[in-house]
Amino acid sequence: MTVLDTGTFAVAAGEIVALLGANGAGKTSLMETILGFRPSRSIRLFGRDVSALPVERRIALGVGYVPERRRLFAGLTVEENLEAASRLPAVHRRRRVEEMLAAFPMLAERPHARAWLLSGGQQQMLALARAMIDRPRLLLLDEPTLGLAPLVVADLLARLRAVAAEGTAILLSEQRASLALGIASRGVVLSRGKVVRAALAAQLANDPQLADLMAGG
Amino acid sequence: MAYALVALGFVLALNAAGAVNFAHGDLVVLGGAVAVLLVGWLGLPGILLLPLVALALAAAGIVAAHVAILPLARRPPEATFVATIALAAMIEQGLTLTMGAAPHTTPPFLGSGAVTITIAGAGATLGLQPLAIVLVGGVLVAGLWLLLERTQVGRRMRAVAADRHMARAVGIPVARYVTLSLALSGALAGIAGFLLGHQFLVTPTQGAGHMLKAYIAVALGGWGSVPGALIGALAIGVFETFVSASIGDAWASAALYIAVLLVLTVRPRGLFGEPVGQRA
Repeated sequence: MTVLDTGTFAVAAGEIVALLGANGAGKTSLMETILGFRPSRSIRLFGRDVSALPVERRIALGVGYVPERRRLFAGLTVEENLEAASRLPAVHRRRRVEEMLAAFPMLAERPHARAWLLSGGQQQMLALARAMIDRPRLLLLDEPTLGLAPLVVADLLARLRAVAAEGTAILLSEQRASLALGIASRGVVLSRGKVVRAALAAQLANDPQLADLMAGG
Repeated sequence: MAYALVALGFVLALNAAGAVNFAHGDLVVLGGAVAVLLVGWLGLPGILLLPLVALALAAAGIVAAHVAILPLARRPPEATFVATIALAAMIEQGLTLTMGAAPHTTPPFLGSGAVTITIAGAGATLGLQPLAIVLVGGVLVAGLWLLLERTQVGRRMRAVAADRHMARAVGIPVARYVTLSLALSGALAGIAGFLLGHQFLVTPTQGAGHMLKAYIAVALGGWGSVPGALIGALAIGVFETFVSASIGDAWASAALYIAVLLVLTVRPRGLFGEPVGQRA
């Protein structure tokens, strides 16, 4: 089932697609277009045209977003960040928060800590948990490994594999191609706002021109 | 405590709009004016007037949100400054036209007498209106704390205050929460205007003075911090009372500004200010 189709490429349920490109290639702009922060001619999500829908309605259809640099609600606690992002009724919301804390032991250690007091790794896990709180069908991640220690990156990527295995479509934006292609099934290279290459992840990983393509060459 | 209501309303609007609402002081005056008009028309006692004033000013807050804040959400904050300054001028001129420039008095909340409270043999006499201000202020501050800290609506209001763009990106209907914040801000301003209007009268030009006190309270407490606004406002009230009693009213304002400058020199972020980018 196609869950995202910009007319240029699509992301299927349970699939991880790596969105590659240098800084300024247009990865964040594409994510913001999918979310509805920027106008678009045609964006299809979950089989329907959402071009006219505002951001909130698109999120409610089942989109989760982990932005670059995490952008947590800094003064809210871990639990509050999760609750604020949920549209579930109170009882289900509380149960879901407990489930997320159980799934992310790093967060369960500090459920009442303000977000700005967390370590970088904890903040990234909270950003991922916040995006997953209402079980999205499509997860957009913008440079999630930026500034993280190697062990935390490995943990994060393993989690993304597990989330995709449960049927969630994932669009993973990364500057570090090898990391993203290591867990993705396909890759899309952006340069100056345009798709310049789309191929299977294994093919892209072995493509000697990949670095040039990402640099806009 | 009345300053606290003004400052809390100011900081709610500040956080929701992402810019200073320069009409906030005039909403305080409008609250007093609505109370004066309602008591003239309906002759209701103060205790029944309070919810009506709160509702009327919540409606005024919603109008302010839809006229001067939401349409300019994608513009620089200066656009909201100018729009709310214009709104303030319209309220002030509107009140001058309808009420005249002469001062009016709002009715007391409980009555205009005094009560004597005796604890362990020591008695103190308190005016009913100052007592009412403390009681109503205390209940409202507690209610606001419960709303912000213990409810989903409050969590989402704080999320919007922390990062409006990201709040939308997690599915929060930001415009609705900005409107709600402005309604609450207006209601608090109106109640403060009603309570203050009995002791300090109501004149259309008082808005700038209220605005300045709220601005100072929030700068002192920490820009955008709700507890900081409360502490800042209470500190101003205590400071002014102490200075007035010690060296006279004429010096109270000057001493306040000097004290605030000194505090901000030592702590530019205010007493409870968080590092830039980490406030919520």
